[in-house]
Amino acid sequence: MKKGEKKLKIFPTIRPRLGSRTRGYLQISFTWLFSIIAGAIILFLVIFMTSKLISTEQMTLNAKTGTEIGILLNPIEMGFESAKSTTMTLPVETRIIAKCEEDNQFGKQIINLSQKNLGEWTVTNIEAKFTNKYIFSKNLEGETFYIFVKPFELGFKVADLIYMTSSKKEYCFENAPENIKKEIEFLNQKNLVTENCQEDSIEICFSGSCEIKVNYNSKYVIKEGNRMYFSDDVLMYAAIFSDSEVYECQVKRLMQRTANLALLYKNKANFVSNRGCNSNLNLLGLKNAAEDLRNSAELKSVNSIAEDINDLNKFAECRLW
Amino acid sequence: MVVKISLRSIWFAQAWSNQRTDSIAQNKKAQMKIQQMVFMLLAATLFFALVGMLLLALKFSGLKESATELEEKNALLLVTKIANSPEFSCGSAFGNLKTNCVDADKVMMLKKNIDKYDNFWGKETNIEIIKIYPEGNVVCTIGNYPNCNLINLQSKKINIEHSNFISLCRKNLINGEVHDKCELAKIIVSYKDWRENDD
Repeated sequence: MKKGEKKLKIFPTIRPRLGSRTRGYLQISFTWLFSIIAGAIILFLVIFMTSKLISTEQMTLNAKTGTEIGILLNPIEMGFESAKSTTMTLPVETRIIAKCEEDNQFGKQIINLSQKNLGEWTVTNIEAKFTNKYIFSKNLEGETFYIFVKPFELGFKVADLIYMTSSKKEYCFENAPENIKKEIEFLNQKNLVTENCQEDSIEICFSGSCEIKVNYNSKYVIKEGNRMYFSDDVLMYAAIFSDSEVYECQVKRLMQRTANLALLYKNKANFVSNRGCNSNLNLLGLKNAAEDLRNSAELKSVNSIAEDINDLNKFAECRLW
Repeated sequence: MVVKISLRSIWFAQAWSNQRTDSIAQNKKAQMKIQQMVFMLLAATLFFALVGMLLLALKFSGLKESATELEEKNALLLVTKIANSPEFSCGSAFGNLKTNCVDADKVMMLKKNIDKYDNFWGKETNIEIIKIYPEGNVVCTIGNYPNCNLINLQSKKINIEHSNFISLCRKNLINGEVHDKCELAKIIVSYKDWRENDD
């Protein structure tokens, strides 16, 4: 056996017969071939699992941030203030998509988050869901967000409505009524202005024609060709800052909560009547009207029942709220 | 001639036998190497699987930690504001508007229909109201109200909690007249520790 032939491991009984004709063949042993293939498979699996883990980690982070945003909205809910504004700054460029989901009970506020990672937006299917939150916004993007809160009442307080806007977008309220102007000035929120508007700002006009048209007397907002009705300033802002799909869904959710609160006050009225505390309010009428509401155009009828009940409650022997 | 042939054949037989012995030895060596490699691969796969499992376990324990942290944050922030939410607040029912005032009559009615409010203030969250004075652990029911100390909205017992002081007001009948009665109480928001069990 020649010196060089010691290294030949593949087909040792056949190879010597090939003699000088085998000069160009690859000298690679079965062990090496096997370990290269196995190593490649293991490496591929490790890289695949690592990339999967990284994407899962990013999704977890997005879901966690979404939940945190919802939780951090707890303390900004109102006491007796008429409006409140605050700022939220996130460490990276973020897209916040606030969606609404209807169900038989209270519906859900959904917060879906997407953050920029190495210049690319991470897509997350995980959603943070809240039953007691009502956020009005439209596809936000940026690092700094402004949050403005107002309490929604239908006789009694129903919920705090949260209006979320990005610092990148300016809202210009043109020809706004005095009370709206005063409120916006009082809020001192940088991206809400009533004069000296920037060219690229989103126009909200109370007369004439523009991007978001508000008819304050007939109580409706026209945005992207859709008409959204409101009963008071609180819902007017809601219509301005959200789109019609989210607005209509949130109005229905608010009505579901109104119906449950009306029932709660009805039960309370029966409970305290044993102690000589009488009140005779049409709370079942309000509950039914709120439950039967199909869209914002029917808000007027619910509002009129609520106003009557509130007037009666104010002068009742035993106030329920 | 015969002898010649037999000698040649012996020589060939020996040569063939030697070659075969070499070949068997080489085959055995190769089999040994394959076995070694198989064991090595098994060991490597097991090692990576174990490391992966360890990483996953660490990751999921981190998730449970995060979930508990979020629940804690929710409870902490909720307890400061829950007294002012419409389902609890006094509003103007007891004179002027009051902050951190809970309407006990309303809460008793809320307790009656609490099934509707499942997970309303957060997942696995329980809310309790305890009177500071007189001390006691008499749980309020429609039957013994208002001679009780503790309004437990949900019967599930969750051990970690955050609390805040409130005034607990109700309508009280004294000598045929309705009066407002307010007492000092504590509202407790308890939450689930996800690290403890996987129920």
